[in-house]
Amino acid sequence: MASGSKQEAGKQSLLFTPGESLLHKANPLTSLVIMLWMISAAAVLPTAGTAILVLAAITVSMATGVGKRSVKRLLITMTPIGVALIVVHGLLIERPDQTDLGLVAISPDGLDYALKVFMRVAAMLMATLLFVTTTHPSEMLKALDQRGVPPGVGYLVASPLLLIEPFSDRAKAIRDAQRVRGLDLTGSWKARIIALPILLMPLITLALSDLDQRASILSGRAFRAFPRRTVINAPHDSTFQVWFRRILVAVAVLQLGIPLLWHF
Amino acid sequence: MALLEVHDLAFRFPRAEKLVLDGVSFSVERGERVAILSPNAGGKTTLARWLAGLLPDGVLKAERGHVSMDGKDWTEWHIAERSSAIQYVGQVPSQQMTGCAFTVFEEIAFGPCNLALPEAEVRARVDEAMTVCNLRHLVDRDPFTLSGGEQQRLSIAAALAMKPQVLILDEPTSNLDPESRDDLLAQLELLPGELTIVVLEVALRPSLALADRFLLLDEGRIAVDGPAIDVLTHPRCIETLGMTAITEAGRRIQNAGGWAEGRPLPLTLADALQTLQVPDAVR
Repeated sequence: MASGSKQEAGKQSLLFTPGESLLHKANPLTSLVIMLWMISAAAVLPTAGTAILVLAAITVSMATGVGKRSVKRLLITMTPIGVALIVVHGLLIERPDQTDLGLVAISPDGLDYALKVFMRVAAMLMATLLFVTTTHPSEMLKALDQRGVPPGVGYLVASPLLLIEPFSDRAKAIRDAQRVRGLDLTGSWKARIIALPILLMPLITLALSDLDQRASILSGRAFRAFPRRTVINAPHDSTFQVWFRRILVAVAVLQLGIPLLWHF
Repeated sequence: MALLEVHDLAFRFPRAEKLVLDGVSFSVERGERVAILSPNAGGKTTLARWLAGLLPDGVLKAERGHVSMDGKDWTEWHIAERSSAIQYVGQVPSQQMTGCAFTVFEEIAFGPCNLALPEAEVRARVDEAMTVCNLRHLVDRDPFTLSGGEQQRLSIAAALAMKPQVLILDEPTSNLDPESRDDLLAQLELLPGELTIVVLEVALRPSLALADRFLLLDEGRIAVDGPAIDVLTHPRCIETLGMTAITEAGRRIQNAGGWAEGRPLPLTLADALQTLQVPDAVR
């Protein structure tokens, strides 16, 4: 029973949602390049363009069956960012076009700028969400191994995703242990901030100890003994996808490069 | 030539006054099952790391002596050769996970894949290790969601998939609840017979289950080296391990002619525990 509930909890650390869509079936590197292209496009497109990009990404996510999860994450993340952008750029920063409305002064230019930043961040976030909800990290690692990417890079991708859950469990255990020993975490914000180092110190010490242990385990399992690893059940790739990726990378470079050249 | 040899090994941690290991010497023959008993903080994990070739590293070095396998010092081994020769399983189950695998299958396959073995060979090794450690029903589970006992079985399976000649077990049951401990011990008894095993323990029970030769590590030195009865009846056993009851029981059995001196333990685990009336606290 216990391990069953832990299993459920473990799934929460990944946003991946299984499915049969084209994006799910695509080689992870293709999905990665699509994400990078979308991010580069969001960096250079005007506000209307990024809005179209966000809508397109939402439509694709709905069609691939990951829409609900993606849009929920998008709203949770973007709502506070949106409010902060409006307050800072629309109300707080003084601009020549400010209109006094009594209690507050609003700047249309500031709001325009806030909207531009908001749409840009939303497009980048939606591109990332589309990637992580349709590509399992394990498949991504296999694709990297298949391409001969050094194993250390794969470890950087996988370990944060895998270790966040046990790290969070340990943080909760330390918090509970400190509370039963009299640490007050229910009082004022000041009391909670004072308690923070008491919670963090053991967590950091144990994390460092884990790091040492894990290094030994990796060394014992011949990690990085050879530049290439065997790939089991390598993800499917095709000539079409290879060329599609190349073209998309070229477009992304041009997208970013041309405005830069124009600027200078 | 002995398979694994420790030559006059002396080691202390940086800035420590006392030596953790002070002239430790012994050898392990191919196929032997050896238990090294020592109290808590007696240097077991340090010795285990030296045996497994994880020490010396860039920072920690021996004051004198060295450990060799097949006559070759660990420092002369390539990481791939060493990991195919010896494997280490530590105390804390969750710390034995590589952090690179999303399923039990991937965790076991991680090492063989690092050796760049053909896919069929990797699959065969994973298959065999899963059978030995009874993990087939957990093949698609996330390693971090397994129970402690399951995780420890998984780390042993991952170690076995490297096809080592020697398996070093550093208190493999110390972090497990009684039920998981019993399951793991039953599983350990099924390990391949040709595998050389060195188990480092503070508790008697896992040692009895696995070993036929016992060493007592006392204040950084090997005080006793012989069959179980030698350790159990040695006066330092009481002081170092606090096994008064066991030692007395051992003496009684020896006096009664139950165990001839020099003979390996002629009992099954269950029989030994029952005969010795091992108290739960020291099992």
